[in-house]
Order: sequence, then structure tokens, then C-alpha cells
Amino acid sequence: MLERAKATGARSIAVVGTSKNAGKTVVTAALADALSRSGEPFGICSIGRDGEALDAILGTPKPRYFLRPGTLVATAAALLPKSPAIEIVAVAGTTSALGRIAVARVRVPALIEIVGPPGAAGLQRIVLRMQADGRFVLIDGALDRIAPVGYGVPKAIVVAVGAAGGATPDHALDDVEALVRKLRLPARDSNGDAVRIDGALTAGAAADLARARERRQIVVSNPTQIAFGGRTFLRIASVLDLRCERQLRVVACSVAPLAAERAFEPRSFARNVAARTGLPVYDVYAATITEPSAA
Amino acid sequence: MTWPADVPWTQVSGAAVGAHWLAFELGPSASPLAHNARDRERCFRPGDEAAVRAALERVGRIATEVDVERLEAIHFAIKDGPDVRAALLTASEGGVLSDVELFEIARLLDAVSAVTDLATAAAFADLVPVVDSHLRAALEPGRVAPSAFYVADAFDPTLEPARAQVSAARAAYDSARSRSIERVASIPGLEAARDGEFVVMRDRLDGALPSELHVLRETPAYLLCDVSLDDAALTALAARDAAAERVAALEEAVRMRLSRAVAASAAGLRRACDMLGDLDLLVWRARFARRNHCAVPEIVDGTAVAFEDARYLPLEDELSQRGLPYSPISLELDGIGVVTGPNMGGKSAALRTLGFLAACVALGVPVPAKSARLPLFDEIVWFGIGAAAADDRLLSSFGAEVVGLQAFLERRSERSLVLADELARTTSPREGRALLVALLEALRDRGAVALAATHLADVTPSGVAHFATGGLTRLPPRQAVPLDLDWALRRIADAMDFRLRRVSEDTAPPADAIALADALGLDPRLIERAKEVL
Repeated sequence: MLERAKATGARSIAVVGTSKNAGKTVVTAALADALSRSGEPFGICSIGRDGEALDAILGTPKPRYFLRPGTLVATAAALLPKSPAIEIVAVAGTTSALGRIAVARVRVPALIEIVGPPGAAGLQRIVLRMQADGRFVLIDGALDRIAPVGYGVPKAIVVAVGAAGGATPDHALDDVEALVRKLRLPARDSNGDAVRIDGALTAGAAADLARARERRQIVVSNPTQIAFGGRTFLRIASVLDLRCERQLRVVACSVAPLAAERAFEPRSFARNVAARTGLPVYDVYAATITEPSAA
Repeated sequence: MTWPADVPWTQVSGAAVGAHWLAFELGPSASPLAHNARDRERCFRPGDEAAVRAALERVGRIATEVDVERLEAIHFAIKDGPDVRAALLTASEGGVLSDVELFEIARLLDAVSAVTDLATAAAFADLVPVVDSHLRAALEPGRVAPSAFYVADAFDPTLEPARAQVSAARAAYDSARSRSIERVASIPGLEAARDGEFVVMRDRLDGALPSELHVLRETPAYLLCDVSLDDAALTALAARDAAAERVAALEEAVRMRLSRAVAASAAGLRRACDMLGDLDLLVWRARFARRNHCAVPEIVDGTAVAFEDARYLPLEDELSQRGLPYSPISLELDGIGVVTGPNMGGKSAALRTLGFLAACVALGVPVPAKSARLPLFDEIVWFGIGAAAADDRLLSSFGAEVVGLQAFLERRSERSLVLADELARTTSPREGRALLVALLEALRDRGAVALAATHLADVTPSGVAHFATGGLTRLPPRQAVPLDLDWALRRIADAMDFRLRRVSEDTAPPADAIALADALGLDPRLIERAKEVL
């Protein structure tokens, strides 16, 4: 996954999900492990709140970040561990829901809860601060907060989908196909006519354009400005020519076929995600990769 | 922007005289220390003459002695200085500071050092804080990188071996746990997951769980299990935790010691926060004065106002961005004056210039003029064009003016600056003139300073000076259609004399409106007909 991200020229990976408990943190932690093993310096941050021991909404256990020496981490100052002590390198001029965000360097292996800024500008400042010495940056996304991913320095994107997000495998597959197609919107064709959308394209506005049989390109500045997803997106994308000015780099999907509520058959779920998205699919827990060609 | 809190103008009047523009220009917005200083700032009011003279002199001296680059370097040194007052309170009350708080104390000391190196000019004497060097020395072992802080081994000789012990104990525990995991992983039918966890699908579970596992999480579909530690692993875990606790205690002791050192220097640090914030605001004022070629005005007591070649900077800035020229103006007024002149001739700009200069003085900033003489005002108020507030929608323009005027009269400010731009322009000229004359007489009797711009004739009662802008010195060329506004404005500016001159009380306002309409490209048929009607 790291190699695929780096092949796009990106110096950061953002993991976004189709739903809560889609496995974003598991994937981010696995990427952190991989970077640690390779000895490559990296930083880790989050959009919103992640890495806590219990899911803040559902109260279920969540994976935490076990970070190794040398890693830079951005989180709320109040959440930094007292012991083992951590090296403070900056107090960012941005805040999270839990107060000011500090950037710290791990000196001794430690479990750390990560809280990030909710907005694009704050995330951008933190990513740039951590990349100041050229290091790679991992960004753990949060439910419904993909907008910050579309701004600032280019990031490779991994889309996580899990059994938690869909009542049936078909629902989950529709959701992941919609999110991937949205994030991979084609660029605007400068030779064709276009309707430029300033700000977000809402489902209502898109439906009006569809009813009016709009045939011109509908252009948003970046794909995260399309404010709807799932089956609504698939329906609208089948009748409108949706385009963007700034393309994003979606490099892979991950699957979490086991959820508290239900389980999907892991291999067929991964195969179907690969088939529907055309992307390689990683099951981090099972340590498998399903290429779209195999699907 | 309404900084400081006690500004002598309302939102509307402040906007009209450019005070909000000024506050924005003076506000180094990203500096926490300056924010704190701004909260403490108060405007200069009548009675503060000595204080404002000292403040203006100081800004003027810094602006003269220190170049802009140095001023900006000082600002950027302070900009990174955190506001540590909350941490100082914690330390003073015997609390233990966190690593982030200690980091910020160290950063504040960095800012003090940087400012000490930069602010060497004589004008900065007594403005640069001095902090006890003992605290700097106490924190030094934690400065493992130039802008970092860590409870490093160097703080306590027992930390390094204690940390090494944790590492060894952790390795021993990991090894013991790995052996337990390997034993469990050899049991058929179990699926190993990450970090020694095992997933057991309920539909594949045949009988009870192996005794080596315990359930972490139960779901309808599966059980997430962890390995139960054997005695060897439990002993290793206890040893690891004991070692970690010892390190935690040592680290906390370091923080406690540093917190006491901070508490001992708290008064000096608090003063440093205040001084750096004040210095940042002062530096920004000096930078403003230097960049805008400002002069230190003479502060007088009374109603005399004078300025030479003064500039209304918001307008000059806007014109400059469009490549258009700006003409400074001069004025000498004692008490009440009326300004007449053609449209676009600079009447409103004259009012705004006076208001802007008064706002500069209220904020302790040298004024953009060759020279100036001004008193302090306890109220700067704007009436007429541009003064309609959003909550006046139920009133007509005239009604809103009357309501605002009465509210001002009821406040009975002892020394007010009243700027009236075509007051009562939306009612009948005869009655509008009568109201304006009545107002000017009332202001004269109250000892106010006022300047009123008007197109009305014969509005100068006794004791009221009459000024006129020069008007068009020649007819500007007619603007072709479609309108190129900047082109037209340049031609009009070239043909317009914006200077203010004292004229006799009965001098009639010039009539340049039709010529200006022509220059701005109004339909020639309309122009011709207007001339016939005239």
C-alpha cells in the first residue's frame, strides 16, 4: 500500500472510510507498523478523533496507535501520555475538540490516542509542519470528514469499507463503489462545455441538474465537494457528467469483513470490492491482497 | 473589528472614518501575547494628553530609529512566544506543569532571548523583558533540539538506567507473551489476528474456548480473544509495570522540580508576557508609522485642528491598488466648519481624513500627514452618507439620521468630533439647510469640533468656517461607452483640484455635476437637455 502511494508521488496517505468502524484506524496502524519496520521517518495525525481505546460513539473497543521512537504525532496536548515522556516539538496554532494540538516526537514506544483538527486548514498546517523534514505522513480519516483530504498538499487515499457500514454485502459494495468513483472523478475536459459549481454540490442541486437533462460537464473544484454518496451518487453519476478540477489519488481499498453486528465472508467480500472499484484490496487483519485482475 | 474595547466610535462611525481598517492594520493577529496585550489596551481620551504624547513620541522614535525589516523580525520573534499565564498560575499554586507547558515556558524564554538580541536600539530601552537566567539553565537539559522540550535523561542521573530497565523488562515480557501466543496458535481451528489476538467465528466454535484464551469482545458473529498469560508472562508483566512506574515517578519528579523553578520566576515571566505583548503592538505601530510616512502630531487642548498634506489611508490604499493617484489635503479649523464642493471633489475624503487622524491619535499612532495638531476626543461620530445601520430598516434615510442625531445629542459628550456628510440630503433642500444650520449652531455652542460636507448653499452661521474644495480646473474628456471606470476616474482626478481653501461664508458651492456626468459617459442627449434646463 505504501509503495502504491509513493508511486503517485504523494508524501502522505489519508485513510477514509465509507462508514464508522470501517477499519480506518487498523489500516493506519498497519501503515505505521510498515513505516516503522522500514526505518522511514513518518508522522501521524488524524481528522477529528481517533485512536482512542473505546469508540466515542459506540463504546466498543478500538485499535490504538502503538508508536515507536522517532515517530511524530499530532494530537490534543491533553492526550499526550505523561509517561513515558514524549518530546514536544511544537504547539500547533490549531485546536481540536479536546483543545490545542501539540506535535510531539515519540522517544519510547507508547500507546497514543490521536485527536486532530476538524477542518482542512488545521490539517494542512499540521501535515506541512510534520513534512518539514521530508517525512511521510499518515492521516487517519474520520466518518463523514473527507473534505479536508481534498485540500492542500496532494495525498494518496485509501478507502476503507467494513461490514459495520452495510446491512448486506451489496449495501457495503454500493457504498464503497460510490465513494471510490466520487474520489476518482475524471478531470474536466477543457474542450467541452461545463457548469462550474462553486462550493458544494448537494444532492438536491444535482437532482435538479439531472431533471433538466444537463449534458454539459458538471465541474467541482475537487471531488470531496460532492456532498452526497452511496446509491444516490451512483444514480446521479449515471446521468450527469461529473468532473473535477483537482483530481485525487485513490490508490487502494481495505476491507474489514468482521464487525460487531455482522460478518461478511472475507474472501468474496474482498474480491467483490476489487471488482467494483478496480483497486487492489487489502485485508490487513488477514494479511491478504486481492488485485482487481484476480477479481 | 472593534479593538480596543473602549473605542470612542460606534461600529458605523468607525467604519466611516477608517478606524476598523486601522485596527486591522495595527493588529498582528497571530500573536497570542499581542492578543493579551490588546485586551488590556485602552484608547486615549481627553485627560490623557500627557500619556498620548509620550506614547506617540515613543512610536515615532522607534519608527525613526529602526528599519522595517528589524521591526518585522522583532514581531516574528514575539509571534512564536506563547501566552503562558495559565501555566504560571498552575505553578504558582504548587501544581506540576505538563511537558507541553514546560515546552511553552522554554519557547517564551526563546522569544525573550530573540527580542533581546533584536531590540538593541536606544528607543527600546526599558521595553525588553529580563528573565532570571536560573530558569533558563534549569530547563536547558530538556532542550534536546533547538525548538523542543523533553524530560531528558540529563535531568536526573537515575533516569537513564531506569529507562533502560523498562526497555529490558518490556523485552522480557514481550518474549514471554510471544511464547504464550505461539502455544495457542498451534491449537487447530484458531485464526491468529494482529497483536496476539485471535478471532473465533461462532459458527466454527465447537464446544468451549481453549482455556488459554479469554474473550475481549463478543459479537453476534465472532469472538475476539486474547491469550491468557501464563505465570512467567505475568511475572514479566509485573516487572515491566513496576519499572514503568518507577520511570513515571522519576519523570514527574523532574517536572515538579522544573515547576518550582517556574513558580520562583513566575512574576518575571508574567511581566515578560505583558512586555512582549506590549512591545509587539508598539513595534507594529512603529512599522505602520514608518511604512506610511506618519508624523507625530502635536496634541492640544481645545477645539483647534490642523493638518498638512494628510492622507486618508484606506482610500489611498484602494486607489493605489487600482493605479490611481491620491491627493493629500490640508486643513486648519477651530471648532466648526462646513465643506462645499463638487461631487467627487474630495468633501467626504476631507471628513474621513479628519476622522482617521483622530482615530490614529486615540490609538496612539502617529498620523499620515506632514504635520498635524489635534485634541483628543471622547467621541468621534459620523452622520449622513454611509451612516445607516442595519437596524434602521423601518426608518427612511432621513428618519435614521434624525434618530442617530438625537441619540448623539442626548449623550452630551464633552469633547466630540462630529463629521456630517450631506446630512439631511434626502429631505427638501430648504428644510435640510435649516436643520443643518441648527445643528452647526448647537455644536458650536457645545464646544465640539465638527466638519460638515454639503451641497447646500448658505449654511455657515456665525462662528462657522467655510471651506471649499477646488473643483474642476478644466473639463475632463468625455468617457466613451462602455465605461472604463479607472480611465474616467484618472481623467477626473487629473482635472480636479482636491485642495481645501477657506472661503467667505457666502461663497456658493460650484456646479460641476453635469460636467462630471458627461465625463462619466452619461447619454449626451440627457447632458444636453440638462444644460437647457439649467
